[in-house]
Amino acid sequence: MRIAVADWDGFISPVFDTARRVRLVDTDLPADSETLWLELTEADPAKRALRLSEWGVSVLICGAISRPLETMIAAQGIRVEPRVCGSTDEVVRAFREHQAISDAFLMPGCCRRGGGSGGQRRRRRCGFGEKGE
Amino acid sequence: MGEALIARQSFGNSCASVAASQPALARGAILLPLMDMKDETRGAILDCITDGVFAVDNEWRITSFNRAAERITGVVREQALGRRCCDVFRASICESACALRQTLDTGRPVVNKTVYILNALGERVPISISTAVLRDDTGAVVGGVESFRDLTLVEELRKELHGKYSCEDIIGRSPALQRLFEVLPIIAASDSTVLVEGPSGTGKELVARALHSLSPRRKKRFVAINCGALPDTLLESELFGYKAGAFTGATKDKLGRFAIADGGTVFLDEIGDVSPAMQVRLLRVLQEKVFEPLGSNEPMKVNVRIVSATNRDWAALVREGSFREDLYYRINVIRLEMPALVQHREDLPLLVDHFLGKLSRLHGKDISGISEHALRVLMEYDYPGNVRELENILEHAIVLCRGGLIQVECLPQFLRPVSEESSRPDTSLTLRDIEMRAIEEALRGNGGNRTAAARQLGIDPSTLFRKAKSFGIALPEADGRSRRP
Repeated sequence: MRIAVADWDGFISPVFDTARRVRLVDTDLPADSETLWLELTEADPAKRALRLSEWGVSVLICGAISRPLETMIAAQGIRVEPRVCGSTDEVVRAFREHQAISDAFLMPGCCRRGGGSGGQRRRRRCGFGEKGE
Repeated sequence: MGEALIARQSFGNSCASVAASQPALARGAILLPLMDMKDETRGAILDCITDGVFAVDNEWRITSFNRAAERITGVVREQALGRRCCDVFRASICESACALRQTLDTGRPVVNKTVYILNALGERVPISISTAVLRDDTGAVVGGVESFRDLTLVEELRKELHGKYSCEDIIGRSPALQRLFEVLPIIAASDSTVLVEGPSGTGKELVARALHSLSPRRKKRFVAINCGALPDTLLESELFGYKAGAFTGATKDKLGRFAIADGGTVFLDEIGDVSPAMQVRLLRVLQEKVFEPLGSNEPMKVNVRIVSATNRDWAALVREGSFREDLYYRINVIRLEMPALVQHREDLPLLVDHFLGKLSRLHGKDISGISEHALRVLMEYDYPGNVRELENILEHAIVLCRGGLIQVECLPQFLRPVSEESSRPDTSLTLRDIEMRAIEEALRGNGGNRTAAARQLGIDPSTLFRKAKSFGIALPEADGRSRRP
């Protein structure tokens, strides 16, 4: 399986819509295999989605991502693991081990179900003023 | 900025005079004296400001995060403190052009730069930011401070005014919309004519605008025209323009929509309503890429992409001869189908969230969400008017709702469950009123038959007679036994 991890100076890039570089990891190959890098020069969300698809990406691990872009990438058959932060190496290591991203790598204020911990006008609340939920 | 003035004035004249003499000073610089205060005092003041404010240390870790920052980013203070600011703030410029980094590198503040951040729901929140350097008593840089203002309402008003919608405005994650998102970019990249079909209120124009915004023509105009709303003569002049003197009242030349949209996209809504004569003219535009303004013999070249829409049955129109088959095949090179809302009901919660946010901002109401019961009622309705009807329903609810959660009572009458209305006791009625109403209804329902009415009410006919007399209810002269209900 090929995963793409949006990287910025060794950390997960905070916003995928403007991320400039993606690290490609083939989980079927040993961890010390040569690293492939994909430069993302396209600002157009549709072209970003297509580029990932052209490179055979099955899973995208990234930071914050706008909903339309996430939907376009998912429409290409790519699983998106959004709202991830931390060291790229640690995230990749964790994914190799568990085939998923644990909550420990979630961005502050985000929860696993794709919602947020805030937002004044959201029907679903996931933490804002309701600690421990 | 008004809120910042309050902060400035509370620090006495020195701050106020700085503000008065330098009105363009960054919000962050004006707030600098706050950073020297005790934590509690500073915190209380910062929490009163409607702009978000946060500070970072030299490691880019957040050291201060006010209440407005919580609200705008959707991240609570406790989760933000100590974290890398880019992981909390998630701004479009974090990686490439961080304003704070620029300020710390150059020592110069950034003032009112417009960017966007992504909240936890993946929504772009437009903001304007200002930055300043934080220094200790020795003048050494100890970090930076950034203030930011939510421009969502401004952006929404601008969209309403100019109609500049994009892919982000199509809300939904259902398979039906996933398929749409999958093909939209590919269709947008081509120059083929597109026909968008679907019932009224499903967002056909929104899709047309999204196609335009994703296409190479995005920098040129998007021009829409409702072909069904105008008679032929007006439609012709609107689409093709006219020369001075072409008809009475044509005192000067006027460009038509095709000319205005040159290089861009023309959206022909309700194209199924166009007359046969107009169909001939449109066919020429599509085939030969030229048209003549009214009153002119000079053909004008046209370079537009045409997107059409209709909610009518094309096959029937062509079969009846109401629509030219050759024109149909010209506009139907690519067909997109917008599903009725009932076909992607699972998108309702997302749509409700989206409209509640948008409408409560536009109406200046503090609506925190919708109750589970009210949402259940919305989920069960079929929406013959589709998404437009949903938006209207929610606007009705927001107008009636005083704040907090939208309850069932705020929804339009026709949506509220009947059992809710009839089972709720009307506490303004006395026992006498209730008995009187019950007797009147029983008599009416049984055609004046007192015995049947008494049986229905579970009382003796003599009791019914006595009560009716005391309430002043006129009983029929005959007891109605011959009339069956």
